[in-house]
Amino acid sequence: MELKFKVNGQEIFLQVNPNDSLLYILRDRLHLTGTKNGCSAGHCGACVVIMNEEAVKSCLQKAKRLNNAEIITIEGLTPKEPSGELHPIQQAFIDATAIQCGFCTPGYIMELYGLFLRNPEASLDEIKVALEGHLCRCTGFKPILEAAVLAQQYLNKK
Amino acid sequence: MSLNIVGKSVPRADAREKVTGTALYIDDLRFPRTLYLKVLRAGIPHAKIKNIETKEAESIPGVLKILTGKTIGIDPEHFYGTCIFDQLPIAFNKVRHSGEIVAAVIAESEKTALAAVEKIEVDYEELPFVLDPVDSIAEGAPLIHEKNGEYKHLPTFTPVPNSNIFFGYNLKKGNYDRVFDGADIYVEGEFEYPLVNHVAMEPHGAIAHWDLAGNLHLWSSTQAPFVVREVLAGYLNLTMNKINIHVPSGGLGGGFGGKSDYNIEPLVALCARFVPNYYLKFQLTREEVFIGTVLGRGLKGYMKIGAKKNGAFVGIECSQYYADGAYADTSCNVVLAGGHNCTGPYFFPNCNLKSFGVYTNTVPVGAMRGYGHPEGQFMVERLIENLALKLGIDSRKLRMKNFLKPGDTNSLNQPIFEHNGNVRECFQRVVDSLNETPLPGSNATHYYGRGFAALVKSPVQTANASSNVFLKVNEDLTVSISIGGVEMGQGALTVLAQLAAEKLQFSLDKIRINPEINTQITPWEWQTVASMTTMRVGNAILIACERAIEQFKVNASFHFQCDISQLNYNGKAINYKDKEFPLEKLVLGYQYPDGHTEGNPIQAVGSSVVRNVTLPDSRTGQYHPYEWTFGAQGCDVSIEKSTGIIKVLHFVTALDVGKVINPATAKGQIYGGVMMGLGHTLMEKIEYDTKGRMKTVNLRRYRIPKLSDMPEKFSCIFVETPQPDGPYGARPIAEHSAVAPPAAILNAIQNATGISFTKIPITSSVMVEALSRRK
Ligand code: FES
Ligand code: FES
Repeated sequence: MELKFKVNGQEIFLQVNPNDSLLYILRDRLHLTGTKNGCSAGHCGACVVIMNEEAVKSCLQKAKRLNNAEIITIEGLTPKEPSGELHPIQQAFIDATAIQCGFCTPGYIMELYGLFLRNPEASLDEIKVALEGHLCRCTGFKPILEAAVLAQQYLNKK
Repeated sequence: MSLNIVGKSVPRADAREKVTGTALYIDDLRFPRTLYLKVLRAGIPHAKIKNIETKEAESIPGVLKILTGKTIGIDPEHFYGTCIFDQLPIAFNKVRHSGEIVAAVIAESEKTALAAVEKIEVDYEELPFVLDPVDSIAEGAPLIHEKNGEYKHLPTFTPVPNSNIFFGYNLKKGNYDRVFDGADIYVEGEFEYPLVNHVAMEPHGAIAHWDLAGNLHLWSSTQAPFVVREVLAGYLNLTMNKINIHVPSGGLGGGFGGKSDYNIEPLVALCARFVPNYYLKFQLTREEVFIGTVLGRGLKGYMKIGAKKNGAFVGIECSQYYADGAYADTSCNVVLAGGHNCTGPYFFPNCNLKSFGVYTNTVPVGAMRGYGHPEGQFMVERLIENLALKLGIDSRKLRMKNFLKPGDTNSLNQPIFEHNGNVRECFQRVVDSLNETPLPGSNATHYYGRGFAALVKSPVQTANASSNVFLKVNEDLTVSISIGGVEMGQGALTVLAQLAAEKLQFSLDKIRINPEINTQITPWEWQTVASMTTMRVGNAILIACERAIEQFKVNASFHFQCDISQLNYNGKAINYKDKEFPLEKLVLGYQYPDGHTEGNPIQAVGSSVVRNVTLPDSRTGQYHPYEWTFGAQGCDVSIEKSTGIIKVLHFVTALDVGKVINPATAKGQIYGGVMMGLGHTLMEKIEYDTKGRMKTVNLRRYRIPKLSDMPEKFSCIFVETPQPDGPYGARPIAEHSAVAPPAAILNAIQNATGISFTKIPITSSVMVEALSRRK
């Protein structure tokens, strides 16, 4: 099928298989490798991106439902300049030492991006609910939760 | 010594790449002319291969090659390994676990390769199988390796021919054949620590390429590029200078031992030979990580301890059986470490400790965070809890009474010194930390309990393990350092840069540790395991820094025309009496005003070889591993009576870390290790169905902790008894917090409910059932 959608603000036309996952399209067709594949089955959250302003697991989204969708990936949050200013959520992950191997990190950042887009005043419980669908084997979660709270502060100060 | 950078929570060196998604992991690498490898796995646990039919699969357009044991061109008598050489890259005429690879397809796309895999037909003659290590050593158990005992192996490991035992270790200390002489009271138990998966969030992958000059280039998500090189050189009969093992610049998306030694690399390298000049990529799925890489733990054990009426330990006896899967190798070291570490940080005058590595028709066991320590120490800490109950003394006092102290000997008969660290202080601080919040009394809906355990760990490493670094100071006084250690999340790049900056008195932003590894140009490293990077690579860096400083002085001595002993270095200049000469003019040697040059550029090599590590004595089992790290852990738990849901309310870890180099990254290691230990205790277990196929093949069926499983309160305490030979006094810490959670949590459950569990995991349904049985 012919897929027309937007990724990080850019209009994209692609010939795809209707059952291809958004994760596959992003990583293997568009080479946007910032989005990670931890399970391909909706269990880990490493592949979370923003689709039409909602955080979604891209491994579960099929191409046939993507027409005209607007996607934002971690690359969309990333400054274009090498030393450019990071997105406040990215900065919060650094400041809270919420990264170890970093494989889960883009998924968490996009989840929080989606959450704060909808609900800038999200309560701690709402933050926890949003992060519950993500697995991190390295950090023990505590620094990630701290990063989320810090990110909210940074965003609301802006 | 006042420190400027060591001891500070500086931001991670790799943070910017990781938060922007630009860090490159194995699956992110892109190469021209890439082909894809997919494999057919046995699907049955033990069988002879009668025939493999590949014709239909071969006819699929886009399929380049289908390889099986018979067609891949291997000598079925030529095996690889590092401890026991018992492996082939692909099944030859037999499969020994259900995830074993029987055929490999090279195709233009992953989809095509998978379609071809589906069309391969294998005709098996099924054999009886065995999954349990105790069953596996029973009379009449199916023999998994007919050649057990004939394989090449290191002398330490002692296979028993015509059995499934590939290594039996027996450690004897003191009155070992009458360990309980003089004891008044005994406790004993049978224990189980299940098979578990590491679940690094990044699945394993490798990409192999043979250039037309016959060089092998292989990129892999490996913790052990130099071990991979060694194995490939031996197996493929290649000289090492033709092998380039690369680790991607983003490092690994987690390892935890599951990516150490070697794994899928021999198969990818071999298959890629059939398509020279292409790049052959083999990326595992999550399911394949479960069924086709390595697992950890898998212990069934029996332990008995005897004590005097006053609580003084007299002796310990233990038998451990490890379900080490279809191939032995790294698990040899698990068995060895498990054997002598099961005494925990306690003084037992008499020990008779046996441990057995046993072949089973399951996924091979490899290294796993802290291996050989959590297994046995789980047993001893549970028994100490029961001994205290039996003696009617406070278990905390019983532990304090029996902790190893300077002058005591551990199970290996090694004397313990003051500098080994202070387990008493660790334990007391855990007690104090928990005491800050009173434990709620049990009520109509919940039980509450508090539990403790202590721990000790030594790195398990080959006796000649070393780390090496290349350091160069650039003309602008920045520093580039190459190491062979792998960044896999633990924070090596950050902590090592801190050490270099401190030593050279440079600001941290001047130091760059090269994150990329290529065995052709990176200095040799044994492998990144055993929590040894800060210690071993760190020491190598300090040595290289000292040599660089020395070279600066040599260069400056031409300027000052003096002996180098009269010169001082301060990170900016070399001083002689009241004169100084800037470092940047000394980087390439010393150039006299007429242009001629003396001295040399500032480049240095640093090496750190572990010293005094010996091999086990064949009679007593005694040997010298490396140094020790002591610690203690404790927790408060609540148990909901109706559901059996166990919540950890507060978890405290205290480790004698010697010296904290970076508090934030050190804490990160502790949080992560505790959560892994908590997962093992409350939810994680690899399970097989009645046909010997793994059931827990995804992250829904194999559950690991989520955010909601995190303790409400999480405390880390660092005790700092300097390690004399550690960088700035630091000692290994990264795996340690995963050692004692099973015992601490089970002790807390016993404290809450009176139920003495000896097997993990205690899921809510296990808990509910135990509660109802008790009523
Ligand atoms: S890759 Fe999508 S949830 Fe794991
Ligand atoms: S940082 Fe490694 S999985 Fe989260």
